[in-house]
Amino acid sequence: MELFLMTVTTGVMVGGIYALVALGWVLIYKCSGVLNLAMGELTLIGAYVSLSFYSMGVPFLLSLAISLVIGFILGILTERIFLDKLIGEPVLTVIMVTVGLSFFFKGCVELIWGTDTRVFTPAIFPLEPFRVGPLVIGQVYLWSFLAALLLLVIFVCFFKYTRWGLAMQATADDEMAALSVGVSARFVYAAAWAIAFMAAGVGGTLLGNINGLNISVAYLGLLVLPAVVLGGLNSVPGAIVGGIMIGLLQNFCGAYLDRFFPGGVKEIAPFVFMSVFLLFKPYGIWGWERIERV
Amino acid sequence: MSTTFLPCGTYHEYYAEDHGWWQTKFIKAKMALLFIVLFIGIPLVADEYWLSVCNTVGYTILGALGVQLLIGFCGQVTLGHAAFLAVGAYTSTLLILEFPWPQFLINAGLAYPISIFIAAIVAGIMSVLFGLPSARVKGFYLILTTMAAQFIIVDFLITQYVSQIGGRGQAFSLPPGTIKVGPWVIDSDLKVYFMMLVLVIISIIIMINLLRSRVGRAWVAIRDNDISAEVMGINVVKYKMLAFFVAGFIGGIAGAFWISNLAAISPEHFPWVWSLWLVGVILIGGVGSIHGTVFGSIFMVVVMEVLQLIIMQLLDMGFVWAEPLFMDFLFIKEAAFGLVICGFMIFEPNGLAYRWWQAKNYFNLWPFSY
Repeated sequence: MELFLMTVTTGVMVGGIYALVALGWVLIYKCSGVLNLAMGELTLIGAYVSLSFYSMGVPFLLSLAISLVIGFILGILTERIFLDKLIGEPVLTVIMVTVGLSFFFKGCVELIWGTDTRVFTPAIFPLEPFRVGPLVIGQVYLWSFLAALLLLVIFVCFFKYTRWGLAMQATADDEMAALSVGVSARFVYAAAWAIAFMAAGVGGTLLGNINGLNISVAYLGLLVLPAVVLGGLNSVPGAIVGGIMIGLLQNFCGAYLDRFFPGGVKEIAPFVFMSVFLLFKPYGIWGWERIERV
Repeated sequence: MSTTFLPCGTYHEYYAEDHGWWQTKFIKAKMALLFIVLFIGIPLVADEYWLSVCNTVGYTILGALGVQLLIGFCGQVTLGHAAFLAVGAYTSTLLILEFPWPQFLINAGLAYPISIFIAAIVAGIMSVLFGLPSARVKGFYLILTTMAAQFIIVDFLITQYVSQIGGRGQAFSLPPGTIKVGPWVIDSDLKVYFMMLVLVIISIIIMINLLRSRVGRAWVAIRDNDISAEVMGINVVKYKMLAFFVAGFIGGIAGAFWISNLAAISPEHFPWVWSLWLVGVILIGGVGSIHGTVFGSIFMVVVMEVLQLIIMQLLDMGFVWAEPLFMDFLFIKEAAFGLVICGFMIFEPNGLAYRWWQAKNYFNLWPFSY
């Protein structure tokens, strides 16, 4: 029972971070229709930027803020340089540009920061675990979860109550209509990429705090794909629920299945689950069902 | 496929003639020249280094052919093809190392060719297995399931389980002399080169023949619009599965061939990056064109080699700052590959094959371009 509770709490908390990254992904897809395969590398970049500032002695929150700013700039640049020219191209073209971007970003990250695992020193969150009754929760998880939750709330409020957020929602809903009432689609695309970069950067920083930071954090960023598929590609609540589900699934497989299949069950379980899930419910939980006509 | 320009006054009377292999004397002469260059010219001229570059090109062509078939001709985007290369390589290696071959087969040098064939079939079956979701999902969702194939096969099954067979640890090394085709022991780049040529030519012939038959037309119909293909009476699922099988088959050949060039194989030879690389190769070469597969492979491999040569040249000229570039060449390669893909997609979405076609047309129609 204790193992079960532990798994649930850890799963939900890691899932919260996935949810944050997945939100960025869904945002890009909703606003501009780009299926982004470079999400893992976006998490890497943000994480490495904040890590290098932190190890230079900048306070953690400030370095996080700096990585947000840099993410914002990089996001806008990426959109303007690469994706702006691809509006209206076939889906495969756009996907492959994001694949190309992921190669490019990964190569750059490896060139600049190397491939060794780095840790945030001194540790940001206290090492002694937090105890609630029988539960033992690492403080890293707890704080990461809270931070992810806070950002999720901020993002959702941003979409609901600000002018920019409403413009983005309008574009996602119907691009033509949005254009006709004076929303600049190009601005919205750029903003979506900027926000995705920022969300991924925070997600990456939090993930890097848990296990140390190296190239394999990009793989964790890739886990948003199963998450968004579970939730439905174009649903914000779906992304959040999907992220948490993937976190739970991963931890349950790690806790219960690892005995029977030693090795990396934890890593591949989300993808196996996703493949099977797709066979039965291809549009996810809350995704729009597309009806095809000849 | 582009049409052939016939001499004035020559007309085809049957559809079969339209699809003939080499229709004019000029094309026959051109192909003869190509074969002479490939079989005699390059082995005479090239040194060990360039032969190994040629072998890499051949391996890339073999790997990319399957991807081209799936993406370019059947419209099923796959991002996990390296997994089937891995299946082919591992099946062939395991057969050579573990299977009790009768002595006369080993003496006759048939063990490796037979293992290539079996490996290709096993890879084809695996490919069909992971292509099954394509019966229900398509587009982006299919991309995700093929990605899952990569993670499940390479990162899980092969790394955790297949590698444990025989207790050799992570890498399977092949003792010298085990890779033998007929009377020849494949132990030098030159022999690998000839084997590569034969396999590439056979695979391309298989592909072209499939594409100009009923099967190929069905694939193209599915690519263009799967619903109307179904309405026309094509069994969509069957033909999709067939496409996955043939793609996996050729991938298996590629993997099983490549072990002759590697002293030892390990899961690191078939990373996810390699799957993406193969897709990038066909996008650069041109989607939906056999020429494109070949051009893309040559372009990517040669560009990377040239990049490496430039950096080495810089080092020789005494630029100290080039040293870290040389040490981290793998990363530069990745970044450059990413940029090349982005550049091609944005500025040259039809790929190299389109430029080739344009050039050919220009000279065929010269001097009157209409």
